[in-house]
Parts: sequence; structure tokens; C-alpha cells
Amino acid sequence: MHGLAETASGAVGYVFPNDLHVHWSLMIVLYPYITGIVAGAFIVSSLYHVFHVKALRPIARFSLLFALAFLACATLPLLNHLGHPERALNMMLTPSPSSAMAGFGYIYSAYAVVLLLEILFIYRPTLVRLAQTSTGWRRSLYGVLSLGSDNLSDEALALDRKIIAFLAGIGIPMACVLHGYVGFIFGGVKANPLWATPLMPVIFLLSACVSGIAGIILAYMVIKRGEVDMTCIRTCLKYLWGFFILDFVFEMLEVFSHAYMATHHWETLHTLLWGPLFNSYWVGQVLIFSVVPFFLLGVLSLVRLDDGMVRFLAPLVSLMILIQVLLMRWNVVIGGQLMSKSERGAVFFHPEWFEKEGIVPAIVIMVLPLVILYVLGKIFPFWLPAEEKRG
Amino acid sequence: MDARLRREIEEEIRRDRRAFIKKVLGGALAGSLLLVIPAGALEVPEQLPGLRGQKGDFITGHKYAFVVDITRCIGCGSCCVADKNEYQVPDGYYRTWVERYIIDDLDNVYVDSPNGGLDGYQKPRTDIKGKVRDTFFVPKLCNMCEHPSCVQVCPVGATFQTRDGFVLIDYKRCVGCAYCIQACPYSVRFLNPKTKTADKCTWCYHRVRRGLLPACVNVCPVQARKFGDLADKNSEVYKLLHEPHVISVLKPDMGNKPSLHYLGLRREVV
Amino acid sequence: MQPSGFRAKHNTHVLRVLIVLVVLGVAGGLARALLLPSSFGKYGHYRADAVREEMRRPLRNMTNESCLACHPNIKKIHLAGVHRTVSCEVCHSAYADHIAEGKVVAKMPVRRGEEIRTLCLRCHNRIIRARPKESIKMIAMPDHLEQKGVRTDHLCNQCHHVHAPLKWIREARAAMGLPERPQTAAEGGVSWMRD
Repeated sequence: MHGLAETASGAVGYVFPNDLHVHWSLMIVLYPYITGIVAGAFIVSSLYHVFHVKALRPIARFSLLFALAFLACATLPLLNHLGHPERALNMMLTPSPSSAMAGFGYIYSAYAVVLLLEILFIYRPTLVRLAQTSTGWRRSLYGVLSLGSDNLSDEALALDRKIIAFLAGIGIPMACVLHGYVGFIFGGVKANPLWATPLMPVIFLLSACVSGIAGIILAYMVIKRGEVDMTCIRTCLKYLWGFFILDFVFEMLEVFSHAYMATHHWETLHTLLWGPLFNSYWVGQVLIFSVVPFFLLGVLSLVRLDDGMVRFLAPLVSLMILIQVLLMRWNVVIGGQLMSKSERGAVFFHPEWFEKEGIVPAIVIMVLPLVILYVLGKIFPFWLPAEEKRG
Repeated sequence: MDARLRREIEEEIRRDRRAFIKKVLGGALAGSLLLVIPAGALEVPEQLPGLRGQKGDFITGHKYAFVVDITRCIGCGSCCVADKNEYQVPDGYYRTWVERYIIDDLDNVYVDSPNGGLDGYQKPRTDIKGKVRDTFFVPKLCNMCEHPSCVQVCPVGATFQTRDGFVLIDYKRCVGCAYCIQACPYSVRFLNPKTKTADKCTWCYHRVRRGLLPACVNVCPVQARKFGDLADKNSEVYKLLHEPHVISVLKPDMGNKPSLHYLGLRREVV
Repeated sequence: MQPSGFRAKHNTHVLRVLIVLVVLGVAGGLARALLLPSSFGKYGHYRADAVREEMRRPLRNMTNESCLACHPNIKKIHLAGVHRTVSCEVCHSAYADHIAEGKVVAKMPVRRGEEIRTLCLRCHNRIIRARPKESIKMIAMPDHLEQKGVRTDHLCNQCHHVHAPLKWIREARAAMGLPERPQTAAEGGVSWMRD
């Protein structure tokens, strides 16, 4: 219980003595989960801001704040995981050019800047107006957030529009880099046959989009209750289905190619997938939380269901997708470590509730973005009044 | 041998033992009264010639290699004991360990390494299905790769390859992210719960720089672990690597190019 | 030149953002220069001083020579027997637990009783089949004791001197006027041990 690596709860076959420890546990499951939600939410907003999918207008601003709330917490699981969190800035100080992990500090920071600026520029007209109508500390706060400028002339707004287009434009590749790169952190580990595949960044990216869209749908419907824009929801569901088809197909393709090629790695993977990972992978990730939402989304996208049905199914299917992605992260991150590099055995792992990296800290870290989102909602109005002119 | 003769021999042995114990006790008492070690006794003879004079940051003029002869290893675990003593490795973590392989006529391979071989192998395996075809022990330690994955993935430059070919850890910069542990194909790395950093076998760099053999090599009673200078044509490792032996490295397809060589390595060994 | 009643110019906020970004970048660069360890990058992407730190790691195990330098009686026996390649520190714990700064700081543990049997069987246990046959003498317990006609609760060191296992056997044979038994490879140590 030294809170560094957790020890496996059992083993089958021969496991290298040092492989009895699971070094990357719940925190490293959450890290790609959170950055995935960030990247996915950003892409939802970009669908409106860059690709002009008009139906998504009601959630375009909210998605950015949603992304920001999760982005603010993306480093927490990492810091909690590190043996020496006080040395975390070494990543920025001496990033190794050969390390797949070293870029995180800079990519994360750059993306945070882009996201923050995009929010400030998009919200500027609103913030200027709020600065003028509020008093006291709120007035000063809005003054700072509107960058000390009250200029809402056509010339200024035209400049803002250019900047927003630029930020949203570079934001898409950056969101992809942020998360595809997280996939590469795993995909580039040649010593681990479950991780080492060029498909890994692709799967991570697609599942990121899926979790982001699902997160937005769920949050939007929970916050707005009866007042949701049904066209927006239906459009989101179609995108969700599209991304999820790709995501699920690639996930299956990866396992299928391993099984078909049947190199010596397959024996190890087989031991894993039909051993310690059977329930969380086949039963959880694949059967319940992929196949079921896959068909539900198909029905939602292809059949014209009435609004009541959509109102009932959309949050349900979104929640299932969110669980699917969490399970996928679990199965990749934890699963990869359950196979010993001895190629002759695997370990079992069950998280503890009160470990440093246990279930309770994980819940706290997942609730925190929602708290931040609530606070952000007090400052930045999530929803557009119907008559407000878009910048 | 008849019973009378045997009794006489036993009596003789007993007498000798008593005399011996008296002598030893005398020596031990004298030693403890003295308390201070005579000058010069601490000057340990060099085991690796020509290193004590080298004061630079790296070793020059020598190229060290490690050879493990698995046809000699008896699985006594002395190396593991010495290693744990040298580094006070926390329980459950292993800088080096010894595996036992048993192969039966049905081609089943049985491998185990209870407590990394630290306590030796006191019990036989009882679950062997066929007739035993071959059995052997395989000591494991850092492979000191020419292309080390751990160095490649370390995000902060806290694990590195020295110019003399050793892969070491900077315990003051390591953030403890464990990426190197994931990347090492040989699972020789672990997160040390005391230092909260990555840790692994260094081939006893601190001993080598003082002209001493790595602790495990020094204690091996059957010379199954060999450490020597490839620049010295008279060294055992030079000769071994230049003779027609079956010599291989672990997981060669990883492309890490280990400088840890195994003599008599069987294909079953991973 | 403000056509409308705004206090700020149309691009004031953009310039402010740019200034903040530049200031942050410069501050980051300065902080990096200040915090970078001096020897970092001297030889590669690492702190060169770390090599010296590893070099200076204190020794805990020494060599048999260092132990035997102060224990001449044991030295005489240990080096004469087939156990001469067995390390002192494996059975008796590391040198540093015994000597610090040239002074005896603690007594070394001496193995007794059942510990002796466990220690001997680490190497000599025949039932652990994974051992080279020609290398060292192998025995099975309690067969060996039965064969030799002694009680099966006998400890190994009742017949074998732990530092030189054949010492007493040979001395007893000599005392009895028995001829020296021809050594097997395993008893005398195989060729590489005699070198």
C-alpha cells in the first residue's frame, strides 16, 4: 500500500517477478478518457464553427466550455500517478526528443491556450455586454475576460471572426494530435503486443470523438431537460453513430488481425482476452456496451422515432457509449499490463477503493470537471438567447 | 564399512569439530576485542584491472560484456542474495532473478521463479506431465541494450546510456511515470517504493568503476555469471564470444541489441 | 479615429493577447534556462553528474579477500576446500553490515540448526532436477543420511565442515589410516574450479 504500483491479485502461468505489479492503474485509465472527452467535445464545436453544421449551433459554445472543464482536470490523474509529482515540470524543462510521452507538456499547454482563446473570442460580444451590465467584482472579472476591450464595431467583430476561424482551424489538428498522440504513447510500446499497433492512435482518436459527442449529448439533455433542440440531438446522434461505426470496426479489426495472423503474440493475447480480461472486454466493452448501443444508434439514426422516444433513448445510449469508452481505456491500459512479458502468463487486477490511485480518487477526479463546468456556467452563459446575433 | 569402524570415524570427527570450534571462538573473541580493522585489510585487490586509476566521467579503453552460462547455473540464488544485499532492494522487487525451466517429452515448458529465486529452489515441481527432457536455470538481469527502449521512452532524460555502454538512472530527475517499465521488453525495471523512482540492475556500475566485479558475478559459486572486458583478448568473455559456442541474446526480434549474452540459451527461454 | 463610441480600438484585445503570449513565452524560456541542471546535456540528453552519483554509490558487498583478510583461520580452511568459490557474504550477510569506516559495527549472523540444512540444499538438493549433473555433488534428503548410516535428523554440519565440506571426512580417514578415496569430479571441483 505504498501507493506507487498496485500488486496483482493473482496470476496464471509464469509471470516475470517484476510483472506482478500493475504500474498504470485507474489514473492512467482516466487520463486518456479525459483527454478523449476534451478532444471529442472540441470536435463537436468545430463541426459548427469550421464545417458549418448549422444544426449543432445550440451546443457549439457549450461544447467548448465542456472541453475546457475536462481539460482543466486532464493533468490531475497524471500528477496523482507520478512517483514524484513535484518533478512534473521536468517534462517541460528537459523533454526528451525520443520519448513519445515528452511532448505531452507542450502539446497540452498549446492546446489549452488555443481552446481558451477560442472561448474568449467567441464569447467576447457576450462578455462585453455582461461587463457593461454587471457591477462589483463581476464587472472587473468580465472586464478582464473581455480582454479589456469594449470594441464591438463591425471591424472588430470581423477581426474576431478571422481569429476564431483560425483558432478553430488549428484546433482540430491540435485536438487530433493531443489525443492521437495519447494513443501513440501506447501504440509505440513495442514490448507490449496488445498496445503495439499503428491502429492504436486511430482507435484512440475515434473513441475520443465518440466519448466527446456522447458526453455533450448527455450533459446537454441533463442540463436543459425538456428544452433541448431535437434537431440538434438527432444530428448529434447521427454523428455519434458514424464515429462509433468506425471506432467499433477498428477495435474489432485489431483483435481480428491478431487472431488471423496468429503469430506467437496471439497466444499471449488469447490468454489475456479469454482470461483476466474476459468480462471487462467481451462481456462489457464488446457485447453490452458496443453491440447494444450500435443497434440503438442505428435505429435512432435510420428510423424516424417520435421526440419522446428520442428523449428517452438518446441519454441512455450516450451513457452506454461513455461506459464503452471507459471500458475500452481500462482494457487497453490495464489489460496491456496484465500480460507478462514472459509471454507465459497473466495477472489479475482489481482496483482498491481507498488506494492513492484507487476508485475514490478516480471518482473525485471525474466529478471535478463537472464542478468546474458548473462554475464556468456561472460566468459564461452556456446557451444562446434565440435572438442573439452570432459572432 | 563395518559398524565399529564407522563409530570410530564418527568419534574422530566429533573430536576434530570440538577443537575447531574452540579455535574459531578464540579467533572471534580476539577480533571483537580488537574492533579496529588493521590498516591495509580494506584494500581489496582489483578484480577488473586498470579501472581504479580512471577518474574521468566514463571508462575508457575497456568494453564490458556480461555472459550468463545457463549450462552452469545451479539455481542456488546466491546472486539474488548478493544483489538484494548490495542495493537493499525492497521485498517483491527484483533487479535480478533466476528462473527454473523444465521441459518434458510432451514439449510442455514449465517455468517458475518463486520470490525471484532469492530463497533458492527448495522444492521440486510436482506438476510435470511427461518425462523430463531437459531442465536448467536462467538468471535474468538488465540486458544493457545498445538500443535501450527505456532510454528512448523516458520523457525527462532520467534514464540514459553512458558513453561506456551502461544504462543508468538519474534518481534525482526521474518523475516516476513508469513508462520505462512498460517499454522494457525484459521486465527488469520496477518502481522502487523507497525512492519512488524507476530502478533496475546497473551491472553494479559503482563496483565496476572501483575495479570490482558486479556483486552477482562476484558471488556466483559456479561461474555461471561472467563479466569481462571485450577489449582484453585474454578475458574469458572475449574468448567465449570468439569461440563457436551457442550464444544468443533474449528477444533478439525486439531490436534492442542486448549486451547481455547467454551461453547455451534454449529457444524456450523468453 | 473611432467612428463609434468604443473606448478601445478594434484590435486592442488582439494585441493584448499577443503581448501576454509573448510574455509567457519569454518567462517560460527564462525559467527553463534558470532551472536546467548545469551538467544537463554535457554528453547527451541527461545530467552528466548522475554518472558520478551512481559511481559513488556506497559498496555494501566486498569480496571474499576482504573478509578473509581479517579471518585467517577461516581463510586457511575456506580456501583449501571445494567451497572456496562460495561467497562469505551470501551466508553471513554483506560486509557493510559488519564493518563501517574501518570499524566493526555489528557481528555477522552465523547460520545454525535448520538454517544450515536449508542453505546447503540451495545447491546440493538432487530432487531439484534442473541442475547440471557434473558440476557439484548432489544428494537427496533423507536418502543421503540413510545411506551413510546416521540419524535422519542429523544436520549437514555434523559431518561436513561448512567452509570445507570434505575436511573432516578426509582427516578422519587419515586418522584411521584409510587410503585417500579417489575423488569424483564433483567432489574435487570440476576443472574450471581448480584453475
